Amino acid sequence: MGRSRPDENNRVGYLMALPYVIFFLLFMAYPLIFSLILVFHKWNIIAPMKWVGLGNFVRLFNDALFWKSLGNTFVFLVIHIPLQIIVALVIANILNQKIAARGFFRASFFLPVVISGVVVTILWQQLYSQETGLFNALLSRMNLHKVPWLTSTKLAMPSIAIMATWKNVGLYVVLFLTGLQGIPFSLYEAADLDGASGVQKFFHITIPMLNPTMIMVLILSTLGGFSLFIEPYIMTGGGPMNSTLSCVLYIYKQAFYFNHMGYAAALAFMVALIIMVVVIIQRKSFETEVYA
Amino acid sequence: MPKFIKWYIVPLVVGILCHGSILFARDDVVRLTYWPSSNPQEIELAKVTVDEWNSKHPDIQVDMQPLPASQSSEEVLLAAVAARTTPDVCSNIWPGIVPEFTEAGVLVALDEFEEFSDVAASRIPEDILHIFRSNDGHIYQMPWKGNPIMMEYNVRLFREAGITTPPRTYAEFMNAAEKITKDTDGDGTIDRWMGIINVSPVWWHRFFDFYALYIAASGGKTLIADGKVDFNNEYAIGVFRFLQEGFAKGYFPKGTLQGNQFLLENIAIQFLGPWDIGFLEKHKPENFEYDFSPLPVPENTTEPIVTYGDPKNIVIFSTTKHPREAWEFVRFLVSEECDLRLLEICYQIPFRKDMDKDPTFKEYFEKNPKVLRFAKQIAYTRGTDNIPQLKEIFDVIAQAFEYCCVYGRKTPEDAIENAAEGCRRVIGR
Repeated sequence: MGRSRPDENNRVGYLMALPYVIFFLLFMAYPLIFSLILVFHKWNIIAPMKWVGLGNFVRLFNDALFWKSLGNTFVFLVIHIPLQIIVALVIANILNQKIAARGFFRASFFLPVVISGVVVTILWQQLYSQETGLFNALLSRMNLHKVPWLTSTKLAMPSIAIMATWKNVGLYVVLFLTGLQGIPFSLYEAADLDGASGVQKFFHITIPMLNPTMIMVLILSTLGGFSLFIEPYIMTGGGPMNSTLSCVLYIYKQAFYFNHMGYAAALAFMVALIIMVVVIIQRKSFETEVYA
Repeated sequence: MPKFIKWYIVPLVVGILCHGSILFARDDVVRLTYWPSSNPQEIELAKVTVDEWNSKHPDIQVDMQPLPASQSSEEVLLAAVAARTTPDVCSNIWPGIVPEFTEAGVLVALDEFEEFSDVAASRIPEDILHIFRSNDGHIYQMPWKGNPIMMEYNVRLFREAGITTPPRTYAEFMNAAEKITKDTDGDGTIDRWMGIINVSPVWWHRFFDFYALYIAASGGKTLIADGKVDFNNEYAIGVFRFLQEGFAKGYFPKGTLQGNQFLLENIAIQFLGPWDIGFLEKHKPENFEYDFSPLPVPENTTEPIVTYGDPKNIVIFSTTKHPREAWEFVRFLVSEECDLRLLEICYQIPFRKDMDKDPTFKEYFEKNPKVLRFAKQIAYTRGTDNIPQLKEIFDVIAQAFEYCCVYGRKTPEDAIENAAEGCRRVIGR
């Protein structure tokens, strides 16, 4: 059997990589560079660009609504991430036991992940409806007051966080299940010999051994949380009184409602920078614990 | 010939031969692209209109493609302008977007066609036509149709509540609302309201509540005068107070209700245009009675009551290679026969002078008296101001509306003052 020459191997390799390189250049590198140029311009899509230097950033730092949207996004993250991790961990632990119809339950929890976000959001909008929603109908039957799930500034964002948790938890259940199944059983056997209780085993074996999965879930949840868009866009439009206006929704409004493409690009770069800082902090904190 | 070339050339030749349009297409046929609105009635109207045009004009063939669906038509048109994929003719142009288009030079000036003056004069008076004139003095849009916003009401619900005539003033409206809003099944919660006002803080929703009511209250003022904010006045404050009271007393629900609540008879009124007639006539249950009246106004407002006209116009994009032929098609779209078809299929009102007295439309209006109310109202409508920052101005008002009217966190005076200040900043930016 003949051996192919190294330069021929290289050519085949380049050819194999070419589709992705083209994709990367067209859909990632070009938009990134173009938006970097936009940051320093005022542009409404149809008229020529106008150089504004750092004007978009000056405006950004003085834009109270942007900082409010950032605050709202952090409120969402603070509710959503712990809730998601706790619920996913509990469900994964239950599904890791030998229970009846385990396959059915695993598929059921994953189902919302593959349903369109728009469909889920419209469904929950009806469930949350103050006048005709199922949740308030149940509360009324119990002689309790109706709750303004989406029309109260205090409750709207938590309501969205609960919905987002329901939508995404299946994915994290699968990740935790994979992590749980990777924990050597011998550790639990040794703990049993030492007389450890179930709770002790959970906190001293399961949780530490799941740390790599935790980090991944944490980072994915953070990235997902910063991308919050469909839910407030459809359910509340950013209201009531901007309490569910997320960063991405605000960027979208600036770009596609008002055609402030340069300003929207500046906002997007600022949000990307903040995400990067948050993720670095998360990794630094948790990696130390895992590998210490 | 190398073998692999054969595998390319043979299918290519076969493809060319099979594709008759390349070999047999007539060079002398002009092809135009036309984008109408994408709602079912207007698609049907466009199909009928284009079929008729194509049969009468074999040398100028029009391809109709409904405006691609999106959150708003303006987003799609902007994307098309940016990508230079605009059609030759579009008939779903909100005048608020025209200033941006004219600044970018993407529209054909229609007043440069010699027949324009005559065609325009047959439709609207010169003093109204000037509203559509751009800052450079040209007119880039053919006034086509309007949908005057009026108060649609459920006759039976009013009658059962002892309301014999639709409320005209804010005070009469609130009295009626008190009688209508109730818990009908005795479960302790309100399930019938006076009306629904969309609480979503999306800028264009305010055309159909605050803006229409403001035009009605002020006798036809718009938001901007001579390039300056002009709505910080008693009329705007009055409208905010009216809406705030309606929400505070529960006459308008704050949540989202699914389904057509007017058809379900869960609400008694709504503010909208004539397009709803077609929907109601198709879907209304037996014995469902409805009618229209002018918008409620403050005491002492003089007749006739003016309202928002929700105008949609026709433009020719400068990407067209055939402006003269496109103009001929536009003239056809605004002809009497097409205007009659617009009424018949879409229940929308063409911009045309004295239509209620025109014999062409007489029979139609005799059969459709509800549409006639709108046809009479069309002369008393206003559009939006001709400035590029209009969407941001309405966004500022939408924020103020939410804080003040829906949630009562600001007084109407403060909310209007703050909104006016915000709009000044937007204009000055």
